[in-house]
Amino acid sequence: MAILCASTSAIFSSSSSSERSGFASLRKTIPSNQSSFLGFFPVLAFSKPSGVRTKTTLSFSKRDFRVCCQDLSLVPENQRWMFEESEADGPDIWNNTWYPKAKDHINTEKPWYVVDATDKILGRLASTIAVHIRGKNLATYTPSVDMGAFVIVVNAEKVAVSGKKRTQKLYRRHSGRPGGMTVETFNQLQQRIPERIIEHAVRGMLPKGRLGRALFNHLKVYKGPDHPHEAQKPVDLPIRDKRVQKQR
Amino acid sequence: MTRIKRGYIARRRRKKISLFASSFRGAHSRLTRTITQQRIRALVSAHRDRDRKKRDFRRLWITRINAVIRGMGVSYSYSRLIHNLYRKQLLLNRKILAQIAISNRNCLYMISNEIIK
Repeated sequence: MAILCASTSAIFSSSSSSERSGFASLRKTIPSNQSSFLGFFPVLAFSKPSGVRTKTTLSFSKRDFRVCCQDLSLVPENQRWMFEESEADGPDIWNNTWYPKAKDHINTEKPWYVVDATDKILGRLASTIAVHIRGKNLATYTPSVDMGAFVIVVNAEKVAVSGKKRTQKLYRRHSGRPGGMTVETFNQLQQRIPERIIEHAVRGMLPKGRLGRALFNHLKVYKGPDHPHEAQKPVDLPIRDKRVQKQR
Repeated sequence: MTRIKRGYIARRRRKKISLFASSFRGAHSRLTRTITQQRIRALVSAHRDRDRKKRDFRRLWITRINAVIRGMGVSYSYSRLIHNLYRKQLLLNRKILAQIAISNRNCLYMISNEIIK
C-alpha cells in the first residue's frame, strides 16, 4: 500500500488494492458481492461504498507474498501507476515491523504534561500517568525503548482517596534488618512527605526492571501549585477516565 | 594392545563447536567445556524463540493498534475494531494495520470509520 492516502477516494483504491495483492491466492470461501478489480481505476470518479472486499486473482498473484511494494521492477507495467515512485527505494515498511531509531526517542524532544492532583482519585490518576510515561498511548510504542512522555504532578498533597483509605491505607517499608518494618497510614505519610504517595502509586504501575526505573525518573511530583519546568512548556495531561475527579 | 593416541579427533570436533560460539562474550567463547554448554543453550533458546517470535510480534502489533484506536473516540477499542473488521470481511492483518498506524494514521482512521458503519 504505497499510495499516500491523501483523499478518501484514494483510500479505497489503495486499501483494497493492497489487500487484494496480499491475499489473492487464499480467500476462496468468503461469499461476496462481485466487485472485480478493473485494470484501471479512474481515481477521481471512484467512490465505492465500503462493503465486502473480495479477492480476485491478479496477474502477479503467485509472487505477491514476496513482492514488496518498494521494488518496482517486479510490478508489471500496467500496474505501476498504483505505486508511488518516491517510496520505491525506501525501507521496506510492509515486511519489517517498525523499530525506533535513536532519533525517534530523544529526551529533549519528548512532550511534557502537567496535571493538577487536587481532588483526583489516587489510583485512577496514577494509572493515566503511568500510561503516558510508558508510551502506551502512542502508535510507536515499543516495550524495550523509552518512548513515553514526561509528566509533572502539582498539588500532590491534595490528592484524594475514597472510602476510609485516609486512615486505613498502610504504607510499609523495611530497612532490611530484623524488626525493621515501619508502617505508616496514608494520613501520616501525607503529613510527612506527600510526594511519596503519588510516586509510590505510579511506581507500582510502571514495569519493574531497568527500563521501568528509568521511566520512573520521568515523573516529577511537587507539593505546591508551581513547578520549575516552565521552560519545557508542559501541556495539560488528557485524562480519559470519567471517574478520576472526587465527587463532593 | 598397541598404544593409540587420540590425536586430533577431539580437537576437530571442538573446533566446529567453537566456531559457532566465536562471537560470545568472555569465557563463553574461549573455554572448550563452557563453549559446548553455551552452544547448547543458544540453540535451545533459538528453537524456543522461533515460536515465541510469532507470538511476540503479534502482541506488539495489537498493542500498537490499540493505542491508536483508543484515541479515536470514547469507548472505541481494539476489540471493537477487530469485530468490525471481521463483520465487514476486511482481510487486513494486524501487522499491516500496525504499520499503517505508524506511517499514516489518518488512513487507519478512515478505514475504521468506514467499517464502523
